[in-house]
Amino acid sequence: MKKLSFVDVISKLNDFWSGQGCTLVQPLDAEVGAGTFHPSTFFKALGPERWRTAYVQPSRRPTDGRYADNPLRMQFYYQYQVLIKPSPSDIKQTYLKSLKALGVDTKKHEIRFVEDDWESPTLGASGLGWEVWLDSLEITQFTYFQQIGGKELDKISCEMTYGLERICMLIQNRFNVFDLEWQDGVTYGDLHTRHEIEYSKYNFDEADIDMHISMFESFEKEAKALADKGLVYPAYSFVLKASHAFNVLDARGAVSQNERPRYIGRIRALAKRCAELYIGNSKRC
Amino acid sequence: MKTEKNCKDFLLEINVQELPVSYIRPAITELRGAFLKELEASRIRHGETALGATKNSLICCIRDVSARQEEVSIEVTGPPKSMAFDKDGNFTKQALGFAKAQGVRPEGLRVKNTPKGEYIFVERRLKARPAKEIIVEIISRVIEGLYFPKTMKWDDSGLRFARPIESVLVLFGKDRLNVKLGKVLSKNIAPVEPAAYLKRVNKEMLIDPDDRKKEIKKLILKTISALGADQEVDEALLEEVNFLVDRPGVFAGEFNKKFLALPEEVLRASMAKHQRIFPVSKKGRLLNKFIAVTNGRGLDIKAVKSNYEKILEAKLQDSLFFFDEDTRRPLSENLRQLKDLIFQKGLGNMFEKIQRLKALSSFVCERSGIEGSLKKDIERAAELSKADLVTHMVGEFPSLQGIMGGIYALKTGEKKDACVAIKEQYLPHGMDGRLPESLAGSVLSASDRVDNVVGFLGMGIEVSGSFDPFGIRRNAQGLIQVIKNKGLRIRIDEVIERSIELYGDRLKVASSELKTRVISYIEDRMDFLAGEIRPLELKKAVLRTGRFDIVDIFNRLDKLSSISDKRYFLEAAKVVERTSNILKGVKEVVPENVDERLFKEELERAVWKAYTDSKSGIMSLIEKEDYVSATKEYAGAFYKVLHEFFDKVLVNVEDKAVRLNRLALMKAINRLYSDNIADLAQIPQIIVK
Repeated sequence: MKKLSFVDVISKLNDFWSGQGCTLVQPLDAEVGAGTFHPSTFFKALGPERWRTAYVQPSRRPTDGRYADNPLRMQFYYQYQVLIKPSPSDIKQTYLKSLKALGVDTKKHEIRFVEDDWESPTLGASGLGWEVWLDSLEITQFTYFQQIGGKELDKISCEMTYGLERICMLIQNRFNVFDLEWQDGVTYGDLHTRHEIEYSKYNFDEADIDMHISMFESFEKEAKALADKGLVYPAYSFVLKASHAFNVLDARGAVSQNERPRYIGRIRALAKRCAELYIGNSKRC
Repeated sequence: MKTEKNCKDFLLEINVQELPVSYIRPAITELRGAFLKELEASRIRHGETALGATKNSLICCIRDVSARQEEVSIEVTGPPKSMAFDKDGNFTKQALGFAKAQGVRPEGLRVKNTPKGEYIFVERRLKARPAKEIIVEIISRVIEGLYFPKTMKWDDSGLRFARPIESVLVLFGKDRLNVKLGKVLSKNIAPVEPAAYLKRVNKEMLIDPDDRKKEIKKLILKTISALGADQEVDEALLEEVNFLVDRPGVFAGEFNKKFLALPEEVLRASMAKHQRIFPVSKKGRLLNKFIAVTNGRGLDIKAVKSNYEKILEAKLQDSLFFFDEDTRRPLSENLRQLKDLIFQKGLGNMFEKIQRLKALSSFVCERSGIEGSLKKDIERAAELSKADLVTHMVGEFPSLQGIMGGIYALKTGEKKDACVAIKEQYLPHGMDGRLPESLAGSVLSASDRVDNVVGFLGMGIEVSGSFDPFGIRRNAQGLIQVIKNKGLRIRIDEVIERSIELYGDRLKVASSELKTRVISYIEDRMDFLAGEIRPLELKKAVLRTGRFDIVDIFNRLDKLSSISDKRYFLEAAKVVERTSNILKGVKEVVPENVDERLFKEELERAVWKAYTDSKSGIMSLIEKEDYVSATKEYAGAFYKVLHEFFDKVLVNVEDKAVRLNRLALMKAINRLYSDNIADLAQIPQIIVK
């Protein structure tokens, strides 16, 4: 059987999860650290209504850049995000089926659910769950949300975040991410190596610190102003921009340990505000 | 009396999505305890228990549970006799009402005497309910009451547990009982006896955690033998793995030798943290091999092994990156960044901490006679001690703090003694943890612990019961162990004073109060560490006496307890006790000096002579810390003569000057021992046979 390419894996997951009633949405067109930041998760997990969604989310973690030298770590990578609300009792079995749909023989390979209490301090979000290990590699973050935007949830969502590169490594038996087959003879490296190297240089060495500090301030100000006007989506988009500016500053070594909690606190306060507004607005509609 | 026939086996199985490893043992212990307590409170007899605990299930099986509650009678008191009968001796309306309310006929009413007078009462037999009704109630209560460090919701029933409960199975004899617990369903299986069910489950997996652990260890050791390697198994990792698998298997894997260039500690940490695999060493040196514990049968071991190996190499590649990044510049260049790293809220940053540590360890050196190059190395170690906290490797593996500092310091040309001290500064880790081997490491560890205890207590942080989030207890205990182990001769009260001084105006608690608090905290821990010593009061007698020199205190304890059944020890104790007793009720100020001119009796002179003759000899024995001989001398000098003195001479005479002079004599004798060795008056009922 032909090994699945990176693109095939995404298609298979789309097929599988749309078959489970998930609305497939497109990636958020903004720089974010994870699929959780997408409104299809962050806002949609808040209310009482049933919601099932799945999507790819390109994600950026500037501090994880390794100049394309590391087989496993990158500052830019892809998450496949699934959110199911409310969480069904057989969700673990369904998740395992999704691995089978990718051709992973879960009887012949070792799957482990290893305790991991997930937390996103900037989103005021937390949950309990696991890292899912496939032959000792973490391939999915599996979380039952308990809190979003500082709000204790009534309806519990289940979030499954697949690390697409890692799953592909095991499926394709290639243990350097840049050697993965993206599609028909095109490798992941063909598309990403230069991008990865240049962004590593940018994040660690070149990003203009003063500009990012001033951007952070401006984004924060704009987010507040928009929130005051009740424009939740635009306000939220500036929260995300502020969050990314902070991440760049962090990678650039421009955030001291003392300042870090303050920056994070400022972003969290904005995220919380957006969550509250979102719930308030839904009630009015 | 119920017969054995009316007993049934009981089984509770909670099926749950993967529980956090560290929750499982405490949970199953608590589950058993709570359940038995409830059964006993409900008057349901039971036999032995058997437990099972895996990542997905908590199983509690109890044999021979009686099918009904034990029957008991209780007395219900009604109105006073005076109100229960009219003057003709007939029941009043009130009495009849009481009988009706209790469901008995009026003839069933009895009279009894109580401290408050005569009352009527009924004896009621409590209905013995079937055990299965009660068990159903108990189970939901016990499950909902289980303690976990963190709990969660997974549906909207409001039920909380460590992870989602998938189903519950309750078997009572052949019956399957349904339990009401949130939206949790009962496991749907055909009727089966608990014993048979356990047997069936055990065929699928090893449910007993201890049996399973033994089995895993056996498998690992077998593989190690096949590799001809050292028979070592990381016990902490084993305990963890034990709750990740329920049907263990083992394989050995390999990795590229080039990664052996990484420090051994990094390799071990990476294997344990990222993949929960066991390192393998031969003659104490790590090999490029590992042992993995797998779960389940039917695995494609060849494929699984290949994946494990490649993933390990990818992870080690990252560690190599960290190592190269961290060693691109000398460790000392990190010091600047420590200003941005908080030590503790209110206690300043890590840069300030190393300044204090440098001064404090220097002080400890001076006081314990460490000088020259070793003193310089210790000061340098203190200065660099926290520099690794801002390295990549410690960011990735926090447990390698200190260890990486030592390794990096050595790489950048720091002196060996300093590097070893940096490496050993956090030892010991736990109660029975390894202690620093080097003198330099011991001084640094002790100084750091004093700085921690003084800082935390100085912020007004309290330790209560098991709640010790700042590890004050652990720090104090480690301090004592380190000092004792190396025989560091310092007066700990002086070190505490110096440490308080070094904090300047940062601390909230006033200096003198803080000093007392720290000292009494350390005394408390010494008392604990000394364990059980006979006689029991000896610890108190020694701890509150003489210099606050930990080594000396343990030495005195040790010596005195070894001679505590000797006659001369008891004689010495008697002398201290009698002299102490006579001074106890005295309200006047007893002079420090004895005036020979005020002696009236020959025996007084004899006692005084005994004192002046023996004092310098005893003091020089104390100086040499020869407490056994000092005790012997003391007893020999005073026991007899004092016995006679108390027999024949009255101390508390009318003449104030004579009286006070006699008391001064008693005080001098008492102090000679109780100020320098132990206040043996603390020991009750000293009998010299």
